[in-house]
Amino acid sequence: MTQADRRDLVSLPLESALLQEQDQPRLVWVQDPDRQDMQFPDIWLRDNCRCKECFLPQTLSRLPQLWNSLDTSVRVHRQSVDAAQEILYIEWSDGHASQYPFSWLRERDFSSANRRRYLREFYRPEQKLWSGRDFEEIRKVFCYQELISCDSALQQWLLHLATFGVALVKNAPLEMDVLRRLSNRVGFMRRTTYGEEFSVRAQPGASNYAYLAAPLPLHTDMPYFEYLPGVTMLHTLEQSASPGGVNLLTDAFYVAEVMRERYPEQFRVLCQTPVDWADIGSEGDLQFHNIWRAPVINLDAEGRCVRINHSIPQRDSHFSVPLEQVRPWYEAMATFVGLAHEHSSGFKTTPGDVLTFDNLRLVHGRTGYDDTDRNVRHILGAFVDWDIVYSLLRVLRRASSPDAP
Amino acid sequence: MWVQRFLSRSAGQLKTFSRQISVRIVNETNIEVLEENDRKPLTFPGVWLRDNCLCEDCFHGSSKSRKLDWDNFDTRIRPVTLEANEVTKEVKVKWSDSHESSFSLDWLKERSFQKERQKDYLREFYRPATKHWSGAEFQEIARHFSYEEVMSQDSVLMQWLQALAVYGVALLRNAPLDEGVVRRLAERVGFIRRTTYGEEFVVQAKPGAQNFAYLSLPLPLHTDLPYYEYKPSVNILHCVVQTDSPGGSNMLVDGFHIADILRRDHPEDFERLCRVVVDWNDIGSEDGREFHNIWRAPVICLDAEGRYTRVNHSVPQRDSHFNVPLAEVLPWYESYARFVRLAIADSHAFKTRPGDVLTFNNIRLLHGRTGYDDSEQNPRYIVGAYLDWDIIYSRLRVLKKRLGGGKI
Repeated sequence: MTQADRRDLVSLPLESALLQEQDQPRLVWVQDPDRQDMQFPDIWLRDNCRCKECFLPQTLSRLPQLWNSLDTSVRVHRQSVDAAQEILYIEWSDGHASQYPFSWLRERDFSSANRRRYLREFYRPEQKLWSGRDFEEIRKVFCYQELISCDSALQQWLLHLATFGVALVKNAPLEMDVLRRLSNRVGFMRRTTYGEEFSVRAQPGASNYAYLAAPLPLHTDMPYFEYLPGVTMLHTLEQSASPGGVNLLTDAFYVAEVMRERYPEQFRVLCQTPVDWADIGSEGDLQFHNIWRAPVINLDAEGRCVRINHSIPQRDSHFSVPLEQVRPWYEAMATFVGLAHEHSSGFKTTPGDVLTFDNLRLVHGRTGYDDTDRNVRHILGAFVDWDIVYSLLRVLRRASSPDAP
Repeated sequence: MWVQRFLSRSAGQLKTFSRQISVRIVNETNIEVLEENDRKPLTFPGVWLRDNCLCEDCFHGSSKSRKLDWDNFDTRIRPVTLEANEVTKEVKVKWSDSHESSFSLDWLKERSFQKERQKDYLREFYRPATKHWSGAEFQEIARHFSYEEVMSQDSVLMQWLQALAVYGVALLRNAPLDEGVVRRLAERVGFIRRTTYGEEFVVQAKPGAQNFAYLSLPLPLHTDLPYYEYKPSVNILHCVVQTDSPGGSNMLVDGFHIADILRRDHPEDFERLCRVVVDWNDIGSEDGREFHNIWRAPVICLDAEGRYTRVNHSVPQRDSHFNVPLAEVLPWYESYARFVRLAIADSHAFKTRPGDVLTFNNIRLLHGRTGYDDSEQNPRYIVGAYLDWDIIYSRLRVLKKRLGGGKI
């Protein structure tokens, strides 16, 4: 790029404003012919310089040396724009020179609309909550073979799972390695104390409650882990012919929103009372005593639901809260459990189905069934983590739409 | 009204060993249990006791878990009559739903709602309280263990995990120099935490590497994989070959200590680093599989009670996408630069030797290494793996129950 190609930017209207309000961040304005002007903090631009000294293309990452003694007072010495090539040039007060393509800048524009777009379209798809009575509308079926062979089907499945928290995969072979193949398609299985794959069928004397034929009330899997497994996958190999064995599912984020609106005090109690979740037992040679203390409804800093913990068998008899918080918690929990039932939906999987759902968000259960030699139910289960699912969703999105980040 | 039951004559020989137990109902719902000579009674909410009934209908013995029918659980349940038995050390409760429960005194004591008892339980059994340290204190807090003893003696295994939980770092010595060490060690605790980069990973200079750690350049202080919501908890780094060149030293900083300094001396910086959400990312591929990991979280993460839950820091793995309002950007950079300066100033450097296994808390500590001269005559070869705190704490509890040293 020759100097003649560069066009000096019109003197920044912001400069004068800056003199008056020294607390204001120092911003670089970029006029974009196709859209609204963009603004970038100078320190951010310097931190994200794309030159070979500052950025390593092979790792797509920032070289860290600048940060051994970062000077946050660094200033723009001179800036210019190549309008034809759409490149912003900056010379810095520390003598460094940087250039930024407009396409790169647009993707990182600090306007709230752009940030919202990025977070929803690329970071994590926006969740849509549902009540059990709407289940038929949000229910979507995917074909196992297509997920294995076709990237766009894979992308749609994961997008649906991220958005609604549940998706049903049909026509999987009745083989033991279906969940492994599906997990490998996404990334890899999440191992837990119970191993990688687990088998759910009636086992007299079982050390885990799920292995009994009794009704299994609504719950999340493994609330006793700080790092709760993200997505549960259940592959039906054999289904009981008896009337029971029906899957129950509830979007507990929806239930939490109902409580937030209708029972705000009980909602607060369920968000603020830490509960001891526990699992004591052994699997193979490994003895375990898992405990995690966390509320039933977990919110992020902005008050959005990020995780539900609920499991009657896996709630510890230790309850490490002040005495006076106990009764209010029980009353709030009873409301939550009642609402979870009210908003649940039931359906029975058939052999070859793989039910996949968000274990941070949904509570699931099954009705009791009559397990006899002639009336077997056999489900295989496995987990994958959301970190891995979202990563693949981004990779697929970039592959399918060239303008994605 | 205190209900008292005295020993029957037939059990009279036990009388000298038994303390009298008194029980009563208070406020219609709570139950108080007072053992002779104790000054304060133990108080238990009735609704909690009913929920934790240990009879066969309500509790599943082999899975040690509750099976009470919560679909029909009535929180208005009240205790109606109480009975204490000094011989069996049990308290019997008859409920307003005509159910009957029986609880041993030991079981009740372990679940006492007294504040001090709960604090002990949480600190000694749930998760040991952490002790933060400055770089200058490193020699005092760094515990050394023999690899062979950790592998063969449960008590040493427990001490290692306890030190790791409390100080966030511990060093094992004299491990063999084969590549199976990290796996054997992880399986002594539980199992390896797998990541995008596989289960075990090798850190050695690889020209053209896709990850910055695989270069021989200086590796500034960082935490591993901040771009995961589910960040690996503990690093196990087994030094197989160490470079003879002057570099290749490990650097460690207690990120919680740096956070303590900020909280005390620079509260505005502290507040900002706890609040402003940063995009951490990693884009690349491993074994032909592409990934694009992103996790948005502050540098210092706090729980609802203001305790540290995690520190995130990695210059190369901080995304150029920064999804915050414009006005937040410069102040955040200033606060973050202060955090980094403090961490660099406080870091402790030391060089591991072949056979050393460095283990540290990746949720809490920052680590790095100085650059080194990598050549065929001067290689450096480290095998690493991760363990998760869920699995470590579980193991520690099992060991404490078996060996003592922790309450159940």
